[in-house]
Amino acid sequence: MRASRAEIALSLGVLALGAGAAWVTARLPGEGGYAGIGPNFIPAVVSGGLVASGAWLLWEALSGGWRNRGQPEQGTEHAFNAAAFGWISAGLFAHMALIGWAGFVLAGAVLFTCVARGFDSRRPVRDAAIGLALSLAIFAFFVKLLNVNLPAGWLKPLLGAAGI
Amino acid sequence: MLETFGALASGFAVALQPMNLLWGFIGVTVGTAVGVLPGVGPALTVAMLLPLTAHLDPTGALIMFAGIYYGAMFGGSTSTILLNTPGESASIATALEGNRMAKRGRAGPALATAAIGSFVAGTIATVLLTLLAPLVVALALKFGPAEYFALMVFAFTTVASVLGSSTTRGLASLFLGLLFGLVGIDGQTGAARFTFGVPELLDGIDVVVMAVGLFAVGEALYMAAYTSRLPETMEKLSGSLMMSREDWKRSWPAWLRATFIGFPFGTIPAGGAEIPTFLSYSVEKKLSKHPEDFGNGAIEGVAGPEAANNASATGVLVPLLTLGIPTSATAAILLGAFQNYGIQPGPLLFESQTDLVWGLIASLYVGNVLLLILNLPLVGMWVKVLAIPRPMLYGGILVFATLGAYSLHQSWVDLVILYVFGLLGFAMKRWDIPVAPAVIGLILGPLAETQFRRALSISQGDASVFVTQPISATFLAVTALLVIVPWVVRRRRAARA
Repeated sequence: MRASRAEIALSLGVLALGAGAAWVTARLPGEGGYAGIGPNFIPAVVSGGLVASGAWLLWEALSGGWRNRGQPEQGTEHAFNAAAFGWISAGLFAHMALIGWAGFVLAGAVLFTCVARGFDSRRPVRDAAIGLALSLAIFAFFVKLLNVNLPAGWLKPLLGAAGI
Repeated sequence: MLETFGALASGFAVALQPMNLLWGFIGVTVGTAVGVLPGVGPALTVAMLLPLTAHLDPTGALIMFAGIYYGAMFGGSTSTILLNTPGESASIATALEGNRMAKRGRAGPALATAAIGSFVAGTIATVLLTLLAPLVVALALKFGPAEYFALMVFAFTTVASVLGSSTTRGLASLFLGLLFGLVGIDGQTGAARFTFGVPELLDGIDVVVMAVGLFAVGEALYMAAYTSRLPETMEKLSGSLMMSREDWKRSWPAWLRATFIGFPFGTIPAGGAEIPTFLSYSVEKKLSKHPEDFGNGAIEGVAGPEAANNASATGVLVPLLTLGIPTSATAAILLGAFQNYGIQPGPLLFESQTDLVWGLIASLYVGNVLLLILNLPLVGMWVKVLAIPRPMLYGGILVFATLGAYSLHQSWVDLVILYVFGLLGFAMKRWDIPVAPAVIGLILGPLAETQFRRALSISQGDASVFVTQPISATFLAVTALLVIVPWVVRRRRAARA
């Protein structure tokens, strides 16, 4: 069987994370008081564990693949669709950028529209309208009923006039 | 024993207060409504709905959470039966027969046996919880830091290595969770660890952000990338909900057997309800008088796993409430909810907050009854929820998921953390890396570290405390056996072959 590139990449990722954690740990204070161990002791153990499990995963990936990996049932998965993945990610990034500035409602509507597009919806105007209505309802519910603080952003004058 | 009944009676006095009854009712309903969404399991339901309780008193909030927990379980079985989209691994066994029953026009009896079986199993399991909890508390009061630490090591080991499909991937997941758990201010020295100067990281990584990232964002990325271009199929709910006399006869022994399979598995750190549900499935298949029905929609194959699932969900509350140790991803999130209220579950909680603990346990009885009377009549409504098209469904889930993360600090940095966990969840789902060890590691890791350092402080740095104290030594010995024995058995089998 050919070694899976994804398995190798993920194993290397775990290994690299362990190495990075070890590098940070080496810079943590070590004085321990009565216990004799400091705040760097458990991080050292965890870094070691990550490096070891990353190395073990890599060995498995190179020697016949990860063991007992569950495979999806026939017909329940299609080939990786990069556009779908991209639309979901783009929606989340746009939401991060917009929420503090344009406000919760508009950011939510954009996120909703992008996610729907990622799931192959071809009616962006309808999706945006549903997303706007849903975000508005959630905003009103959380701000009015639960007193959770959410940013109104650009819609502040409008929402204020509506008593939300 | 008498004391237990007294405590339970006062617990009912708390749970039956009108406001608490209302919170329980809301919890069960909202939990079912969200849990019924395809691909949304109990862990995600509980995590997403956490912001709803932001302004309740602790007792009301926890009662509502117990309702959400049970409601999510029930909702999950509905979508599993009608859509064949198990929201979590514990529902896969139900999907095997349940979806086939639905395909043959017997969705009604499948839903009915799931609902009534959940009620029977949940109620018996709650009785067992009531009887068992005081005994575990009495034992746990003798535990010092060394014993707690040894117990947590035992929990980590079983969750990560013994029970998954791969020890390697389980351990990698556990260490990832432990690493994320280390982020933030060290509680004992005030040193900032792995925070990289980001103020949002000083409080540590919130279990809700992690769970929502792994389960909601990760699932959305996976479903969009790998399944969004497939046609959707849903079984119609046609015919009567009523179970025939034959259905009853075949269901009730399965419910009872499954309860006694599921409950013990819930109480030990077995990583949730996956094992008992499959165990119950194969037991029913073996004992059935109609083995030929299995694979074509055998009602025992729905009744058993569903009851096992619910019994184990209740069993999980034994170590969670009495020891403060979560044994499933959902329990880890519940522990996070407790901590948000400054409550640390454990034996002391039974003494200091009697009303809260027993009110919660009593509300489990109430919740089971509410679910039974609510759900079967409302099943038509839940089916409508199921019919929401995928683009709208995931759009809504992500709007809700990001809200929970953002409202923590009102900062976009938490949304970046959420996305990073989404990528991780995507990879874990696609390449079969278990998620539960990571979630449990995140929340239990810091507690284990505290106990470890406390034990060493008491012993003045002498590490032998962990093996010279009998209880602690026993836990560590059992842990070692759990790791060594399967390994030796495998080596011997390989050598013989």
